[in-house]
Amino acid sequence: MSAPRSRDEFEADLRRVGEERYHHRHPFNLRMHDGTLTRAEIQTWVRNRYYYQTRIPIKDGLILAKASDRRFRREWIRRIRDHDGERVGEGGLELWLILAEAVGLVRAEVEGLGGVLPGARRACDAYVEFVESHDLLESVASSLTELFAGDIMAVRIAAFEKHYPWVASEGLRYFASRTTQAPRDAAEGLKFVLRESRSREEQDRCLAALERKCQILWSLLDAVEVAHASPALSPHAQLRDEQPALVVLPERAVQINESGREILGLCDGARNSLAIAGELHRRHPETEGVETDVHDFLEEMQRLGVLALRR
Amino acid sequence: MTDRAGPIPRAPMSQRAPRPYNLVAELTYRCPLRCAYCSNPIAYRDVPETVDAASWGRTFREAAALGVVHVGLTGGEPGVRTDLVEIVGEAARTGLYTHLVTAGTTLGASDLEELQTAGLKSVQLSIQDTLPDAADAVAGVPVFERKLAFGKQVRALGLPLSLNVVLHRGNLGRIPEIVEMARQLDAHRLELANTQYHGWALRNRTALLPTRQQLEKAAAAVASARRAASRPEILFVLPDYFSSRPKPCMGGWARRTMVVAPDGRVFPCHGASEIAGLEFWSIKDRSLADCWAAAPGMNAYRGFAWMPEPCRSCPERERDFGGCRCQAFALTGDAAATDPACEFSDQHYIVLESRRAAETHNQRPAFVYRGDHLE
Repeated sequence: MSAPRSRDEFEADLRRVGEERYHHRHPFNLRMHDGTLTRAEIQTWVRNRYYYQTRIPIKDGLILAKASDRRFRREWIRRIRDHDGERVGEGGLELWLILAEAVGLVRAEVEGLGGVLPGARRACDAYVEFVESHDLLESVASSLTELFAGDIMAVRIAAFEKHYPWVASEGLRYFASRTTQAPRDAAEGLKFVLRESRSREEQDRCLAALERKCQILWSLLDAVEVAHASPALSPHAQLRDEQPALVVLPERAVQINESGREILGLCDGARNSLAIAGELHRRHPETEGVETDVHDFLEEMQRLGVLALRR
Repeated sequence: MTDRAGPIPRAPMSQRAPRPYNLVAELTYRCPLRCAYCSNPIAYRDVPETVDAASWGRTFREAAALGVVHVGLTGGEPGVRTDLVEIVGEAARTGLYTHLVTAGTTLGASDLEELQTAGLKSVQLSIQDTLPDAADAVAGVPVFERKLAFGKQVRALGLPLSLNVVLHRGNLGRIPEIVEMARQLDAHRLELANTQYHGWALRNRTALLPTRQQLEKAAAAVASARRAASRPEILFVLPDYFSSRPKPCMGGWARRTMVVAPDGRVFPCHGASEIAGLEFWSIKDRSLADCWAAAPGMNAYRGFAWMPEPCRSCPERERDFGGCRCQAFALTGDAAATDPACEFSDQHYIVLESRRAAETHNQRPAFVYRGDHLE
């Protein structure tokens, strides 16, 4: 058994995970801050990220339920208050809905979780499931992405003011609120994790938890990014219109059923995934969940190399 | 080799052969490499290379008519065939997805360009290791640098590249380096193929078989590489010697894939010629359709009727198709026996014993190389 890291080494390792894996390096985030996102892309991001916001108090409730120390609970419960507000019209979730309106979305639709992409939903649900199935220490460690959130918020406010002036400044209040909340929350979480990880093994589990959380945030942005990219048959794929259709690839053949074939027919490299899902929904209004199915299918086809993305 | 095969079950003539999707064209058994785990038949020198480009062309057309969509041109080393461009052209004209499996030591950049012009769609390159000395020690000849250069040429032409690295106790500890090599080469896919212990590999089993601890570390390294990036796609399955169930070898005997050997005989896999007592037919004498559908050897282990217990009544048969017949033959002398890799086989001890031996021996015996004289 290796000796535990010193407190400083452990903190440095935690920070390194963030530096390497936090979503500030995700291409979508980089584009957001460069000012090259379209209005529709920003809307998709706000819509999907709202689902993440709704999971946060649930996650924090799960953490509270794991804690037996009342001082810990007293501190931690503030996060739920911050997020849900003390009364109607307050709190982080409310500020996010104000942002949604400021980017041109209909509040009720966002609140009703309309248009949440399956990939984004999976990522956010994975976070709640992680906290559900791990102990208090790892759950708190997974929240340490907040260590890096304060910085990103400041950059974001400046980027929005500069590049997306069409977003009313009222909408940026959420980001502003997090520039102070996130560092305070992170400092508390960090103190707890540094104090409670006594063995090397516990430290390793904390690092893994933080890494997992970074991945979750990363895949949320992946889902948003992919929704706006335009899939087309990969140049390495050969489509054979048999019954059922078959796509032949290097060392692989993929059978495509009838509805999959219809979706593939729309993958012309011009329409993006949202447009393809919208078109399928228009054609089959009676089929429930058709848009979710389309996104899942497109994702699977990209994974298999059948489809390549164009931006 | 002595003939120890059991009675060969007679296939019902009414049985309709399934549609083959993949043709493996073994253009030659010649190869400049001498890998210690070569999967070619031990007696590869006795197999005459008698299928010319025109006959391969006819075979491809017949294969396409049967429903085959993908052809892998392999060997030995297909690059030693002077008519390779012609053969690729024949395959591509038939509409088959044309894939080349090569060691990458015989073809230069201009050859590759010619092959691409002739219709080649993708390339699989074998690499033995990330350390030049270790790689060359397995290959039996110094080829490592040449292979890397070839991989770069493949990508420079825009062809999809997959890397095949055969895993064994000597290189299992270097999964992160292997993945990094695949990234450097911009490979689309990395096949981490655990050694299958037939042919030469069975002779070298003691030198090649890893320990469970090595495999577990390798599996963790694969998982972490998969999390870090979606490319290359990494194929890795725990070898059947270390799992409790056999692998679904070839997706079932003579079910999806046909292998045509350099002498024109048609097999269900590249190892089946080693099984004594099975009769396979040749495209030199009959149509490919006949060789596929009606050759006694092809029907010997098709479907489920041939299975002994406990396979016959096992629900897993739908998934693993009874495992590997070549392995059953190599380890037990009876190709119809339950694959000893399965924990339900009454001869599972054979696998357990070799696994135990791998855990306890520290010294690696010298490799027997392909081509070495064997008793």
